[in-house]
Amino acid sequence: MSENHDIAIIGGGIMGCAAALRLASGGMAPIVLDRGDLGQGASGVNAGTLSLQIKRVRLMPYALKGHEEWARMGDAVGFRRTGGYTLAFTEREAELLTERQTLKAEAGAPIEFVTNNQVLSAEPNLTRRVLAASYCHEDGYANSSLTGQYYRGRLREASVPYRERCAVTSITRDTQGFVLHTGGPPIKARRILLAAGAWLKPVAAMLGVDLPVNARINTVSVTERMPPLFATVIGHATGLLTMKQKGNGTILIGGGWQGRGTPQEGRGEVIADSLIPNLSLAQFALPKLGQARVLRSWTGFEANVPDFYPLAGELPGVPDAFVLGCVRGGYTIGPYIGRLMGDFILGHSPEMPLFNPGRDFEKDAT
Amino acid sequence: MIRLVPDHSARIQRSEKVPFTFDGVALMGCADENLAAALMQAGVLHLRNAPGDGAPRGAFCMMGLCQECVVFVDGQSVESCRLTVSPGLAVKSRR
Ligand SMILES: Cc1cc2nc3c(=O)[nH]c(=O)nc-3n(C[C@H](O)[C@H](O)[C@H](O)COP(=O)(O)OP(=O)(O)OC[C@H]3O[C@@H](n4cnc5c(N)ncnc54)[C@H](O)[C@@H]3O)c2cc1C
Ligand code: FES
Repeated sequence: MSENHDIAIIGGGIMGCAAALRLASGGMAPIVLDRGDLGQGASGVNAGTLSLQIKRVRLMPYALKGHEEWARMGDAVGFRRTGGYTLAFTEREAELLTERQTLKAEAGAPIEFVTNNQVLSAEPNLTRRVLAASYCHEDGYANSSLTGQYYRGRLREASVPYRERCAVTSITRDTQGFVLHTGGPPIKARRILLAAGAWLKPVAAMLGVDLPVNARINTVSVTERMPPLFATVIGHATGLLTMKQKGNGTILIGGGWQGRGTPQEGRGEVIADSLIPNLSLAQFALPKLGQARVLRSWTGFEANVPDFYPLAGELPGVPDAFVLGCVRGGYTIGPYIGRLMGDFILGHSPEMPLFNPGRDFEKDAT
Repeated sequence: MIRLVPDHSARIQRSEKVPFTFDGVALMGCADENLAAALMQAGVLHLRNAPGDGAPRGAFCMMGLCQECVVFVDGQSVESCRLTVSPGLAVKSRR
């Protein structure tokens, strides 16, 4: 026996789940399929930083809307609006900070430049060697390990079926739409949305489409519980550090340092050559980190295309197939761009423009 | 208690008892047995204070996750549930 759905969503990360909720509230009957558990991909292992100071200028309006969504989700996702500082320690970093944060402030983020003394009176445990800093009161974090649990609950509430441990292995067409083969009985749907994160390339290939998707493998570490050392989200002018202390005292350290592995091979591994400079930079910013032990370091796969802008729209050449992914800062923006994608598929015009997956990726690579 | 298998505990061969110290206090424990368990048997439950509110803490998960059993050995913080007793081992607490 097979089932019929208005739309099948391949990938139960934040993108797929957020889009599913919007589609359901607009009257469609979606089904979400994930190879593993909901939120087991990037959406469940990321650093959880919700920072406007690390968003690309063109994505700022989406990130601002994203922050509103996170505030609404609140405690259920461990959301905290703590404010955040971005630090520069050298003249070159200070220039970079001024240049980048000015552009982001012009794009609408409430970012201000603050003095060394302001930073130290707010965060006395930070290094005295801050040369320049910016502050954004909107910044904060959420707990990515709650993503799966949260969306499972929301999908259930909205009566949206989801299937876990259900990998789509091939896709064929019939007169009514698509037939998804999964090992179990085939799943039929009039439309499909590809939201398979760093696995978008092999999934699009099932429809004969070559998406130029690459994957980065980012490293995150967590320390043992420490006494309260700082209250805000701390970043670095280069983007190579993000750091926050959770309510339970543990400190989460990220910054996009690269591990080893590919999405096809599975989980990937942490490598010392990038972990050590990551932790050194963190400890330079917060000297007392020297007393903390790292409990765990892990990696996750983040997808991108050559121009580092999202894929959000129709899958080129395949009617009724859509794709959503490759969003930089995708955890922050996910709940909002998922909503826009839902609107688009429902035939409404989305509040903000989407990002045509059929564009020329070599052009406009700014 | 319902036992699904016969109780063989009486047949377990313990290794010889060796001396070790906890914050300078002399204790005895079976060589190569789990340090957190040996401390418990010696009546030491309070191993450290919580980093947040300073409340007393002791071994909880016994599998290296919760960090409540952390002590200093040779100047390093280590989980006592992941160490074994050896003769002359000097354990310092983080109390
Ligand atoms: C380590 C790390 C740290 C990050 N830190 C931040 C941060 O601090 N702030 C921020 O805003 N963003 C951050 N990001 C980016 C953010 O996590 C991602 O942009 C976002 O989670 C992507 O969501 P997604 O739904 O597209 O992908 P994913 O969450 O990866 O979801 C894709 C899903 O598709 C499923 N899937 C794949 N193939 C198939 C198949 N054939 N059949 C069925 N299911 C399939 C996978 O199992 C997976 O669950 C980070 C990313 C990483 C990896
Ligand atoms: S008892 Fe939990 S780490 Fe040792």
